[in-house]
Amino acid sequence: MHVTGVEAPAPLLKVDGLAKRFGGVVALSDVSFELEEASIHTILGPNGCGKTTLFNVIDGSLRPTAGRVEFAGQRIDGMTAARIARLGIARKFQVPGVFGELSVAQNLETALACHGGRYGVGALLRVRPDAVRRDELADLCGLSAKLQVRVSELAHGEKQRLEIAMLLAGDVRLLMLDEPTAGMSVTETEAVAALVRQLRDERGLTVLIVEHDLHFVRSLAEPVLVANEGRIIARGDYETLRHDPRVIRSYLGEGADA
Amino acid sequence: MIGAKREGRTGLIATGLCWIILCGVGVLVDDWLLAQVAIYLCYGIFAMGLSLIWGQAGILSFGQAIFFGAGAYGFAVATLDMLPGTGTGILTGLVFAVGLATVLAWALAWLTFAGRGLSGAHFAIVTLCAAAVVEIAVTRSGFLGGYNGLFGVAPFTWGGEMIAERPMYYIMLGVAFAVFLGVTAIVRSPYGTVLEAIRDDENRVAHLGYETRRLKTVAFVIAGALSGLSGALFAAQFGFVSPSLLGFALSTQVLIWVAVGGRAVPLAAMVGALVVSGAENTLSNTLGDLWLLVIGVIFVVVVIAAKNGLFGTLFRLPPPKRLRKT
Repeated sequence: MHVTGVEAPAPLLKVDGLAKRFGGVVALSDVSFELEEASIHTILGPNGCGKTTLFNVIDGSLRPTAGRVEFAGQRIDGMTAARIARLGIARKFQVPGVFGELSVAQNLETALACHGGRYGVGALLRVRPDAVRRDELADLCGLSAKLQVRVSELAHGEKQRLEIAMLLAGDVRLLMLDEPTAGMSVTETEAVAALVRQLRDERGLTVLIVEHDLHFVRSLAEPVLVANEGRIIARGDYETLRHDPRVIRSYLGEGADA
Repeated sequence: MIGAKREGRTGLIATGLCWIILCGVGVLVDDWLLAQVAIYLCYGIFAMGLSLIWGQAGILSFGQAIFFGAGAYGFAVATLDMLPGTGTGILTGLVFAVGLATVLAWALAWLTFAGRGLSGAHFAIVTLCAAAVVEIAVTRSGFLGGYNGLFGVAPFTWGGEMIAERPMYYIMLGVAFAVFLGVTAIVRSPYGTVLEAIRDDENRVAHLGYETRRLKTVAFVIAGALSGLSGALFAAQFGFVSPSLLGFALSTQVLIWVAVGGRAVPLAAMVGALVVSGAENTLSNTLGDLWLLVIGVIFVVVVIAAKNGLFGTLFRLPPPKRLRKT
């Protein structure tokens, strides 16, 4: 490929013709999109449109039936979830993905210990994870005073913050958030939107969010991908899309005034 | 948090006392009983292996006797000169026994953790079946003595003389202590933390970047090797091996010892094995078949009422220094 003049930056994530079928059920039929580095995108769509399946395929939980996923120029579909995670894709699950039976310190150690190629048994037996970095992360999620506390005893909000600190432990480049504001109040929702923007601005993270809380999408004010029936049917900013007849038909419903 | 600190100190003191008492037993107890306790120490080593995979990593195996039996038969076969060209040395026997158990454990782990892997009840059922199959296969094997097993397994000797009960007890105690130190070091390392995280949520651990299959396989193989070692030590002291050593019954028994003792703490698992098999030996004489009912009830009560077993809280050590706030 010849590029003259100013070179367009290569996308960090490139999803091309992705399909996933479960027996006769088509979860993803033909999904293609690209994410530029340090961008924030929200995937919006009704329940059952394949948003979570798309996340599962990108992070290696599922293998696609067809199509490909490239991350930083490298093909990643077919890799194990662990290898994809080590490349720098971190996913936040709907239910806080923390280890309830372990202490806060052990949770952070688990998140920290696998970085720098030290994820094998030999290294885990020998190398002591970086305590300074551990304390930084504990400060970040405001749990410095609770390092020895069992995580199942933490409040829900504390678990959410701990999980985010754990996802940021490594050299993450793409952060995938699955309904990060589920069950949150309006104020909390806006705090999440601010945090996401802060992570992008300060750490240069690329963020992909699955969400159906329109208030969140609007307060984030970043590009939106609209999914329906296993496809991305529109892309743009929220204010434009809400007047797009395809979007209104498939998601917002006739006469929606969100 | 002061309470937690004191609890950890209690665990440290209790652990030290436990080993001092076991040393004292060697002086205070008569030879006949000492030989019994030395056998229970074999079970204790076996139990510590299971506590590593079940207590730490949450891998519930109903087939651990396969590896115990493999160690026992391996040691018997080697020392009875049934293998061509290996000699009958005790050391050869031990190496062969542990090697055989290790290879079998690796093969079972490779088969069952392949792909998305079996976990929970599925893994338990497969290992249960494997134990039954191995027991039947050995029962039908003429080479291995079939139903009757193999007799005349060589005891440990020193300078041509059979080692007496008392020094033999201290050898067993030394091996058990070494295994205790090793398993405790694993449990307290970052690898131990990650195994514990796997017990909690394996999928989540994979998404942090760990190849969980490999981590589980290594733990399973270590447990298998320890089972093989304990089986070989058992065969050397007991003098004979039979198919019941690798079947379903012993596999269940070791689970009961570990559950009653406390599965997440290696020393608790070992003491569980000592106490339950000791009680079985004394009480089954007086109670007869009622003993099975008694142990059944104890097992159910402990599993429901005491998640940490009878000794899990007592022997719990303080967390490693790196996990405490500096």
